[in-house]
Amino acid sequence: MTALPRTASAGAAELAAMLARAADGDQAAFREFYDRTSAKLFGIILRILVERGEAEDVLQEVYVTVWRKAAEFDPARASPVTWASTIARNRAIDRFRARGSRPTAPIEAASDVADAAPTADVLIDTGRDAARVHAALTALEPRHAAAIRSCYFEGLTYEALAERENIPVGTLKSWVRRGLMRMKAGLTPAGGVA
Amino acid sequence: MSDDIDMMTPDEQLAMDFALGGLDRAARRAADARLRSDPAFRALVEGWQGMLSPLDDATPAVAPPADVWSAIAVEIAPVRAAAPAKPAAASWWNSLALWRGLAFAGTAAAVIAIAQIGPAPVAPGAPPQMLVASLAGSDGKPLLAAAYDPLRGAVVLTPATQRDDGDKSPELWVIEGNKPPRSLGVIDIHGPNAHVISAQRLQGLSAGAVLAISIEPLGGSPTGQPTGPVVATGKLSAV
Repeated sequence: MTALPRTASAGAAELAAMLARAADGDQAAFREFYDRTSAKLFGIILRILVERGEAEDVLQEVYVTVWRKAAEFDPARASPVTWASTIARNRAIDRFRARGSRPTAPIEAASDVADAAPTADVLIDTGRDAARVHAALTALEPRHAAAIRSCYFEGLTYEALAERENIPVGTLKSWVRRGLMRMKAGLTPAGGVA
Repeated sequence: MSDDIDMMTPDEQLAMDFALGGLDRAARRAADARLRSDPAFRALVEGWQGMLSPLDDATPAVAPPADVWSAIAVEIAPVRAAAPAKPAAASWWNSLALWRGLAFAGTAAAVIAIAQIGPAPVAPGAPPQMLVASLAGSDGKPLLAAAYDPLRGAVVLTPATQRDDGDKSPELWVIEGNKPPRSLGVIDIHGPNAHVISAQRLQGLSAGAVLAISIEPLGGSPTGQPTGPVVATGKLSAV
């Protein structure tokens, strides 16, 4: 495990170099970036949208966006994977909002899935952080952690989640915000949040 | 600990809510507009995104089917190789000829002053030229002024009027000669701002090229070519 962070940041540097070359029009470098990251991004999109064809459309849009915005990537502000994953999540949530709703599993199911330990092949550049963030999430009151997971992983609105869980939306927001502040407080000493 | 959330500013709460993903469509749209125009707000959001993104490692990776890459490859292919065969590009081009006529009929390029250009390293040889354009709708009403500053590698946009594009993103394009439009990216036309564009995209930008703004789905054209209505065009001239 001790070797992981070093390997991981080397991976991030390689991905950042691929993006820099993509920004200069190097399609082979961009293809390599796609090969290294697309399964992760597709997983994120699929989790929010569920429907496969729609998720494939969004994945395509996301990578065309990554290609076009490659020059805007700033390694000082985010890791390449975080940057691309954020574009993917945002695009998937936008699509989800535009569509309306989908059948959703209750909050317990979300926590079941999210508690699965991260597997080695998806630990691209966040290995050590992932363990810390998961620990911080697990340390929260279970209802708070479950609400955070449902918003983050399923892309649910506070309103939809509150309705599903049959609690006032104000209560849900307060759970989520208290939970996130507590996570931040636990992670910040090591520089987790700028 | 219970005081924490009461001490947060509205912006801090909004940034947290946006990064987590709990906002409804209208609130997301508003937050997204802030992100594009307010660096302080963007930094707050990025802080939360950076904190939360390791959670993605718990999401199972799923290999996408091969045809997703094929579709991406077509869209990012160099213009000269891909465009002539694409009927969509051709029909768009035809309508472009129409707007050019509309846009140039009554619109003189406005020269706008840019005060804050600092002393920049000047490359040997001919000094780079500043280019300006006034972008107007088909009714001749100016929408915004654009100035390309080669020293900064930026296009500075100054809106002449307010637009509400709802959950759409205005996207800036450049058309050079007979080539299909090239995207210069999604822009914010709610306030004056400098829009930094990669050197690769700016290559060869010169007087006579036409800038155009189309209204695209949130985040920009999904195809790499304009898909929505064109709201303004204007020709670049040297200052």
